[in-house]
Amino acid sequence: MKRKFLRSVTAVAAVAAVAAVGLAACGSSDSPTASGKSVASGLILGGPPEFKTRADGVPGLEKNYGVTFGKFTVTDTGGPVTVTALKNGQIDAADLFTTDPSIAANDFVILTDPKSNFAAQNIVPVINKAKATDGVKTTLNAIQAKLTTSGLSALLTKVQTDKQDPDAVARQWLSDNGLAATGTAASGVSLTIGSANFPENVILAEIYAEALKAQGASVKTTLNIGSREKYYAALKDGSLDLFAEYTGTLLQFIDASATATSSADVYAALAKALPANLIELDQATAQDSDAIVVTKATADKYHLVSIADLAKLAS
Amino acid sequence: MIITRVFNWLTDGDNWKDSHLNTGILTQLEAHIRFTGIALAVAILIALPLGMLIGHTGRGTWLVSAANAVRALPTVGVLVLLTVIIAPHFHGRTDTGYLIPTEIVLVLLAVPPILANTYAGIDNVSPAVRDAAAGMGMTGPQVLFQVELPCSLPLIFSGLRSATLQVIATATIASYVPLGGLGRFIYDGLAQQDYPQMIGGGVLVAALALTTDLIFATIQRYAVSRGITGRFPRGRPAVASEVQSAVLTGPEVSHA
Repeated sequence: MKRKFLRSVTAVAAVAAVAAVGLAACGSSDSPTASGKSVASGLILGGPPEFKTRADGVPGLEKNYGVTFGKFTVTDTGGPVTVTALKNGQIDAADLFTTDPSIAANDFVILTDPKSNFAAQNIVPVINKAKATDGVKTTLNAIQAKLTTSGLSALLTKVQTDKQDPDAVARQWLSDNGLAATGTAASGVSLTIGSANFPENVILAEIYAEALKAQGASVKTTLNIGSREKYYAALKDGSLDLFAEYTGTLLQFIDASATATSSADVYAALAKALPANLIELDQATAQDSDAIVVTKATADKYHLVSIADLAKLAS
Repeated sequence: MIITRVFNWLTDGDNWKDSHLNTGILTQLEAHIRFTGIALAVAILIALPLGMLIGHTGRGTWLVSAANAVRALPTVGVLVLLTVIIAPHFHGRTDTGYLIPTEIVLVLLAVPPILANTYAGIDNVSPAVRDAAAGMGMTGPQVLFQVELPCSLPLIFSGLRSATLQVIATATIASYVPLGGLGRFIYDGLAQQDYPQMIGGGVLVAALALTTDLIFATIQRYAVSRGITGRFPRGRPAVASEVQSAVLTGPEVSHA
């Protein structure tokens, strides 16, 4: 009993010590200086936890645009929590992904990013060099030419909101865009196509798969693999041949020190960074990048078009 | 060395106070205590009277089993489900939409141990003691409040303490929906790959749990009758002889 009590006393002493240090630190608090009220200083930004420290997150917005939000609230990574919080006014601005169907569904406004704070995230097929015959390249590049951000967002709506089968959505998209014709351009090639575990990437993999099948290729799909750590290794060792990738994040994944942000720069840098057995095909205009999004009401109230407008003085 | 970095994180004054982008440890600690306190208060209000009633009457014991079955629910799953249902109904600068689901989940966790222990405590009071109380002319409620409840306090406290520990530890998932609390440091540390912050958050939760348990232990020490714990001041005669001498000397005093 006595020893137990002594142990408890030690524990409480340790806690008290920690608390005392904290309290002492609090004594010397300095309040944030609010000189020259900008629009952003009255707004709350919501996003994933790492957005607070990420180079293109809060620090990037401050560095590139001089935008400092009044508060940063952790919500989730472009998911339902962020969308609900933005819609219901718990936050005023959010970090969402440009292809998110909820942006259009809720009439949210994407603020433009003229200084390329967010690196370009164009969709690009990364393919095993040995499987990239001219026919395969032509087939895939024809798809790339038709992929747009809003088009992709519409496909996502069908899968996420209307719960349609990604494969059916992919086939429908191909025939809508005049790409469903059968041929023999890719005959004799056998490929394994992979996808990450989120709907958009699955749809892209299905589109590639259906188009190549129509051109006579023998196609196997391995969908919903998981994170890039897993599937990139499979691409490198040849157990996967084709993957729909995002230029910016893939470049950052291969080369953490990469600084390119514009579409063209990132695309060029990625071509150099890829290992010898992998090549990238044409990049689409479709992008799935981070974006600062506000509600229509907020955009109208402060006349917001670009992220830079958040740094204006509030009137 | 990670331990040094965790220590540095815990002792860095900037981590304790709020800034325009960071919510400090003190604020999160307060939030954590608030979530825990509300959940425990509600759980006690539900489970204690219910457990006493079930134990006293011996009826409705199935409720105790049912409450225990609730423990099998996956907490995070229930939390997310409730958040998706409840949160969209709250507009404006409020976190009520996230607070309600969190509290429901925590109450669900806290009720079973309190209920089960209260019931077991009352139920296990010796029939002889109960008979004696009734024989002295005590009414049902008097037996419950003056005999059964004090006798079962050690078990009730043990249920309360295990519920408290569980709620304090589980309240970290409040940060899974966007609420504060010490879980914030654990989730954010993981997402930001800032492991000292993550471990520091865990250390703080453990420290809070230990402190709270110590407080409850102290309350229990003074609340529970010495006749039950057998805890008497040191250096004084043993219980039996003390009682015996009182019995023996009693008549003599009256004679004098």
